[in-house]
Amino acid sequence: MGSSRLTRVLAVAANTHRETVRERVLYNLVFFAILMTLSGLLVGDLSVQQDEKIVKDIGLAAMDVFGTLIAIFIGVGLVSKEIERRSLHPLLAKPLGRGEFLLGKFAGLGFTLLVNVAAMSAGLLLTLLATRGRADLGLLKAVYALFLGLLLAVALALLFSTLTSSVMAAICTTCVVVAGRFSDVIHNMKQVAPGVPGWFVHALYYGVPNFRVFDLKNPVVYGDPVGWDVLGWLTLTALAWLSVLIGCAMLAFRTRDLQ
Amino acid sequence: MTAGRYGFLLGLPLMVLCQRQVDARLGRWGAWQQALYFWSGEQVKRLTPGFENLMADLYWLRTVQYFGAERLFSTDKRFELLEPLIEITTTLDPRLEVAYRYGAIFLCEPWPVGKGDPEAGIKVLEKGARNLPRSWRLRQDLGYFRYLFLRDAAGGAQVLLEAAKLPGAPFWLETLAGTILARGGERQSSRLVWQRMYEQAEAGILRENARYNLQRLDALDAIDALNAAAKRFAEQQGRPPREARELMAFGLDPRLLKDPTGVPFEYDPARQGFWFSKSSGMWRSS
Repeated sequence: MGSSRLTRVLAVAANTHRETVRERVLYNLVFFAILMTLSGLLVGDLSVQQDEKIVKDIGLAAMDVFGTLIAIFIGVGLVSKEIERRSLHPLLAKPLGRGEFLLGKFAGLGFTLLVNVAAMSAGLLLTLLATRGRADLGLLKAVYALFLGLLLAVALALLFSTLTSSVMAAICTTCVVVAGRFSDVIHNMKQVAPGVPGWFVHALYYGVPNFRVFDLKNPVVYGDPVGWDVLGWLTLTALAWLSVLIGCAMLAFRTRDLQ
Repeated sequence: MTAGRYGFLLGLPLMVLCQRQVDARLGRWGAWQQALYFWSGEQVKRLTPGFENLMADLYWLRTVQYFGAERLFSTDKRFELLEPLIEITTTLDPRLEVAYRYGAIFLCEPWPVGKGDPEAGIKVLEKGARNLPRSWRLRQDLGYFRYLFLRDAAGGAQVLLEAAKLPGAPFWLETLAGTILARGGERQSSRLVWQRMYEQAEAGILRENARYNLQRLDALDAIDALNAAAKRFAEQQGRPPREARELMAFGLDPRLLKDPTGVPFEYDPARQGFWFSKSSGMWRSS
């Protein structure tokens, strides 16, 4: 990628980041995520000897749930809104490729999510520091894996938003993300439905991104060692999926008639 | 505007009046009927992929609140949801050690302090020992509870010996196992076990429960002294004593007349001896 192409992608990304930061839904979701993290303090007090674990569980779950909601509901509007508002035409009239536009959109929302996840992680670690006198930095490994999963959700939302309307894209993305969380069910489908052909089960298992693998919440909360090799393989898995999904989105967007 | 003001002024007292009427008909805790919508941890696990730990926390909170509410507010104290709640919690998060340890206490302690179902409590600890094979604490509790609640000295001692082999286990577990084995049914060995539990536990329910049981053992010693005096009284007077105060003439320490909660012991004709008053927090079904 030439430097001028990179500059154009970064310009779209910066603009997308500014746009997403202005979205009211983002603030609502971030507000609820912070509220949920803080509620961990109260809930922890109601329990017996589990306050630290509960604060960690609730904090990480809040990041996961609200991060996914942000990724889906802002992600689906990235392209379809531009098409519906017809603001895409003047943009594409400039020296900006459709692929560059998509990459910029992805990077912009990805950066917004990074900022959100970083803010929520800081909140969680500060909460732990204030209540337990120490911040467990091992949690950041789960946060990193979670962020990779969020990037996948954005890529899915982007792909569907190039193919259909915002509403349909939101429904399709949610379905795939939920299916990806049930990937173990897909893998063991033949136990429940022995008549299903094996090739179909395999195709479904490998054709739906496995969101379960990006969930390291349980091991980090219990202080299990999570090796750098695991994080490395997760990064490669995410990169492979991202290249496929964004590649498909680019193909679909390139051939789409925008009239 | 005027209509709104009248509506507000009329509605405010009416609101309170209506609530009082509803409370009178349904009871103040009418809205707090306990129900479980899912009876299997596997079901909840299937429905919340990736959030099993969070759900386990929520179910554990509910277990603690349910137990506390039944123990403090309920009149019949049935504890019927306790076992499924603990089962769901420990299925969702099989590593939640605290759920096994406290859950077993909630189930094992005799009614009305707990559910009075030691078999169920032992099953919870056995599940914990299977899921956390390196936890000496769970095996230690399993050994203690087999001995204290099932009166199984041999089985309890065997589990304590297994616990002693695990990394981090205290050195005295083997000695304790030997004591239990040698002096199975004696109150002194029960006292030793509860004393160890009291010393090990952090401040909270486990420690309080151990303290309570130590006090109860002291009270049982006092009851023995009272009953010995009552026997002498019956031999002299030809009738059993009606109340503990009648035994003062036998040189009984006045402190022995009341249990540690300050409630006087009562003569129970069915037992033909003194026992805890039903109004005492020390009274149990067994």
